[in-house]
Amino acid sequence: MIHAPRVAFAIGDAGGISPELSARVLADDEANRGDMIVIGDARVLAMGARQAGVTLDLPVLAPGGLVEGLPNGSFIVDMANCDPGAVTPGAASETTGRAALQNFAAALRLAAVGVAGTVFFTPFNKHGMRLAKADYVDEIGFINQTIGATRSGREFNVLDEVWNARVTSHIPLRDVADALTEDRIFDALRLTVETMEGAGFERPRIGVAALNPHAGDGRNFGDEDEDILRPAVERARARQMAVTGPIPSDTVFVRAVKGEFDAVMTMYHDQGQIAMKLLGFDRGVTLIAGYPFPIVTPAHGTAYDIAGQGIADTGATFNAVALGRRLASRGAPRTQTVSAADLPGLFDGKVEFAPVAG
Amino acid sequence: MTPPLALTCGDPAGIGPEITLAAWRRLRHELPFALIGDADHMAALGAPAGVPVARIAGIAEAAQVMPRALPVLHQPFTSAPVPGAPDLGNAAAVIAAIDRAVKLARAGDAAAVVTNPISKKVLVDGAGFAHPGHTEYLAALGGVARPVMMLVAPELRAVPVTIHVPISAVPALLTPELLAETIRVTHAALRRDFALPAPRIAVAGLNPHAGEGGLMGTEDETVIRPVLGALRAEGMDLAGPLPADTMFHPPARAGYDAAVCMYHDQALIPVKTLGFSVGVNVTLGLPFVRTSPDHGTAFGIAGTGRADPDSLVEALRLAHRIGRNRAAA
Repeated sequence: MIHAPRVAFAIGDAGGISPELSARVLADDEANRGDMIVIGDARVLAMGARQAGVTLDLPVLAPGGLVEGLPNGSFIVDMANCDPGAVTPGAASETTGRAALQNFAAALRLAAVGVAGTVFFTPFNKHGMRLAKADYVDEIGFINQTIGATRSGREFNVLDEVWNARVTSHIPLRDVADALTEDRIFDALRLTVETMEGAGFERPRIGVAALNPHAGDGRNFGDEDEDILRPAVERARARQMAVTGPIPSDTVFVRAVKGEFDAVMTMYHDQGQIAMKLLGFDRGVTLIAGYPFPIVTPAHGTAYDIAGQGIADTGATFNAVALGRRLASRGAPRTQTVSAADLPGLFDGKVEFAPVAG
Repeated sequence: MTPPLALTCGDPAGIGPEITLAAWRRLRHELPFALIGDADHMAALGAPAGVPVARIAGIAEAAQVMPRALPVLHQPFTSAPVPGAPDLGNAAAVIAAIDRAVKLARAGDAAAVVTNPISKKVLVDGAGFAHPGHTEYLAALGGVARPVMMLVAPELRAVPVTIHVPISAVPALLTPELLAETIRVTHAALRRDFALPAPRIAVAGLNPHAGEGGLMGTEDETVIRPVLGALRAEGMDLAGPLPADTMFHPPARAGYDAAVCMYHDQALIPVKTLGFSVGVNVTLGLPFVRTSPDHGTAFGIAGTGRADPDSLVEALRLAHRIGRNRAAA
């Protein structure tokens, strides 16, 4: 009987470095604590083990085997959905994209029913996923659809001790100012504080990046920093959150790195991504929070240029697993058993995807 | 031998005077400059710091004086400056120092203008200053409508196409004409001022992932890409529109000499993240060379000895290098 939250582990895009990263996680005593339910094609994992030069001895279950009770220790649910012979290292394909989506969907469902406390996945390739599912936009839309969430989660980037949360993400720059409201920023701040408290921060200090240059320079370069951001910050402070800002976005990350803030809240995609990537975010972790369980993955991509060579760096991947465990709800899994009704389509190997609503 | 640099005093209640003393200590045997400011004020400030100050009659004397004392072209202040407490009465002298530096540079007596930080508010309240900023004022003095700002960090040169405007105004301001002109000015400056005969320029996209083929905004395809195509046809080596979040990695930076960015923070975030205290501003497209440190007056720490002179030192070094490159061209 497992008494700690399990990790639902989806193997990502088989054409990239996901197979070898997956094998390395499972071969490492620190990353693999005997609490992992690996979802993927057992042949892909074996290929990854060969690429990485590690030996794995992992029980293999057919998807239907899950209903007979979960084994102790880590094991793989063999989805038999991606023949390595059909995989070209370094290339996106419908096959690898579809398998990654199926693995992800199954892992999300295992967490949603309470068997696992966190979902971890090795890198996906969006192009391959779109070949398999044309309306795939991003992870958040897919998660909403897969577990029937009505409220979207939020993406955080975690690099060493600096977190980055963003209020808007994949939208045109011209839509950013209109998308910012006091409520939206306040909600983002509250979720950030709650998530970081769950990760062990006692009273996370958040620096809020200004929207406009020089934080608007006293309304000379726009009013949003005074009329929208500042009231949101003040509301958060009135609720005892350690929030500061708006701070000119060209200095807020430098101040965070120097130890002044635990997190930076950015208003738009590139505002956070430029700084985080320069600070070495390839070592960082992407966290999707705001669902009943945390979802974690290394921040870097499939690295097609070095796929299959066994040389991928594991730092971000191990960090992701550790963060997922840290954030998983405490205590034993809510359930140790799975019924066929919990996992529609999984047992016959056919996980179908409805179109994303909206 | 290039002429000395003309360094303006900036707001004397800010950190300008103290970082000037520190810059003289570092550069006295490296390059000549003359401060345009109050010689008595500087002498009083220099004495306890062990920096001798010499009032000179003309900027040509600076080269000879430099190794033994800070050369100062006297520009008297009305009231004695107090660190951290800007005095509106000195606003007119702060502006006069800028005017004088520009005159010297335009006459060829100074190799370049290097400016210490001013407070726009002090100049507006004290002298009716009617310009949006320091750079715009220098552009007006030079008869230039649209100056181009380049930020120079040790490993990156970045040029924002739009500068001090709200983010919401950026897409409308980003016209093909403005973008093309900015790239042209940047290209010419890399050749002339930085002695790069075949400059390589990387151009950032406006939207996340450079719009991802129109999925997240259209300007990358409708504005930026056509402009780059037209300029390439003129023989320029241009890459872009590039996703802004992956174009500043060291391997990416190795492939270009300057990055043209669409808005202020897109250029400033990488510059400051890469080298916070050693960024330098260069104003391109003026009829004279102008550099400045990338920080403000810092009234809050003026007089405490905590001010970091690195950016001013680098601004002086860069102005000197540009002056030499232009003289050699």
